[in-house]
Amino acid sequence: MSPLSSPQGAAAELARNAGQWLLGWWRTIHLAALLTVLALSPASYAPENRRAMARHLYLGTTQSLAWFTLLSLLISIVVIRIVLVTAVSYGLSQYALEMVVRVLVLELIPLAAALFAALRCTIPLAAEIATLRSGGGWDALAAQGIDPLRHEVLPRVVAGSFCALMLAAVNSVVTLVVAYLSVYGFTLAGFDAYTHTVGHVFSPAVSLIFLLKILFLGLAVSLMPIASVLDTVARRRANTSAELQGLVRMFLVIVIIEAASLVGNYY
Amino acid sequence: MNDDNRPPRPAPVNNLELKAALLLALFVALVAGTALYLLYARGSFEATQRLVLVADDSEGVRVGMDMTFSGFPIGRVRRIELAPDGSARILIDVPRTDAHWLRDSSVFTLARSLVGSASLKAYTGVLSDPPLADGAERKVLVGDATAELPRLVSDARALIQNLTQLTASDSALAASLGNVRTITERATGPRGASGLLLSEPDAKKISTSLDRVNSLLARIDGMAAKADAQVLGPKGLVNEGRATVAQLNALLGDARETLKKVDGVLAEAQAVAGNVRGATTDLDALRREVDTTVRKVESLVDEVNRKWPFARDTEIKLK
Repeated sequence: MSPLSSPQGAAAELARNAGQWLLGWWRTIHLAALLTVLALSPASYAPENRRAMARHLYLGTTQSLAWFTLLSLLISIVVIRIVLVTAVSYGLSQYALEMVVRVLVLELIPLAAALFAALRCTIPLAAEIATLRSGGGWDALAAQGIDPLRHEVLPRVVAGSFCALMLAAVNSVVTLVVAYLSVYGFTLAGFDAYTHTVGHVFSPAVSLIFLLKILFLGLAVSLMPIASVLDTVARRRANTSAELQGLVRMFLVIVIIEAASLVGNYY
Repeated sequence: MNDDNRPPRPAPVNNLELKAALLLALFVALVAGTALYLLYARGSFEATQRLVLVADDSEGVRVGMDMTFSGFPIGRVRRIELAPDGSARILIDVPRTDAHWLRDSSVFTLARSLVGSASLKAYTGVLSDPPLADGAERKVLVGDATAELPRLVSDARALIQNLTQLTASDSALAASLGNVRTITERATGPRGASGLLLSEPDAKKISTSLDRVNSLLARIDGMAAKADAQVLGPKGLVNEGRATVAQLNALLGDARETLKKVDGVLAEAQAVAGNVRGATTDLDALRREVDTTVRKVESLVDEVNRKWPFARDTEIKLK
């Protein structure tokens, strides 16, 4: 009789799976803590490491920035137009600008920036780490006394986080400008009213939640894929690939962060 | 180190660290600029003065909402607190640049609309009044559209009931309209307005009376012509009256003569009466003398009676 055929055996298996799942999350959190400590350590910014960090940061961000800016510009124009026309048709045009700022800048842009940074930057960087591990380079580096976590992983995590933050920052500003131009046109006459509306939306609590959301989304999209490829225990046990596991975990974390920000903003 | 096991390196980038530093600088500049803009938008760089609005109920008021003047936001709610007396105190920051719109005589309202949030509004009727002091406390007038709804609905229901009663088929209005229709039908009938006011027999009587009045008037007209002839004709009353008056004049002349003669007789009679009056005067003197003599004789008789032996005591004495 196999263990799964009895209810006790199924319960034990379920408990074991839950334990493994929790242990997997704990390893991810531990890795995040390790990387944070490394990031705060001045030794991590030695000239060679700094060059590697600069390369990842520059290449990862620049190859995403232009495309994403173009894409978000198009989406912003369409969404702003839809919101404005709908608001005017219902006679609620005084709320249109506030709604545009809330929907686009507070909600859509950070989420889209994080996802785009994940697809264009952090997942390829995690794939590089996976290649390094599978090719034995990781162990070779360790054998040479070089900490691969500090010299290979940290620059990629920092670059991925920066990419997500940069995309969100640039496109938030671009969206604010597009919203102004869509509502008022090429004139400075509406600047005071627009500034007042923006100030009205970005109360201290909303601004804090917005900052934390962008920061955590950046950390999530940079850390989760790499944490998955580094989690050797999970990879040995799971039938799926490490990249897919990393994606699932990353989306889960993104959903949790988004939900938490919505709760913070609107409840 | 085994380079074959390392990830493939991309082509080297010129001035990599500089470009990365520029990217970082751009990011820092964006974040700092956005932060400064948001601080400016939140009014952090503006000098403000405090205004306290006191309301019975702060429902609908949120921290951060605007107070408007003529549709322009001139203040922002910073805090809402409960006063010791149970009223709500709404603390508003008004930028100094906009504070001149608020005067001592300004009125503040809190309006709760059916759609959208509540709105705080300021009204200033006299802009030449003294400016509102910093920290001034004012009562806010509350206008609640939703609070009026139940009364409005009950009023509307009563109105609809009245209308239903008015327009019912057995209502007074319908009966009145029926009567009006009957009246107009009769007024447009062959007998017109008289048919409206009178019944048919009465109308016939009126018509007969009018005919008789007409014939009477014709007869009176003939009588007037005859009377005219009798009064003013050649042998009419007027000519005969004139002759009679002439005869009366002659008779009056005769009467005047006769009266003159009577006057003379009367004058003579007056003279006779004067003589008689003189004789009467003499008789009066004579009578006085006789009276005196008689009184003397009486006193003499009384004296004799007192002195006579059979005189009686005539005095009455009190005992």
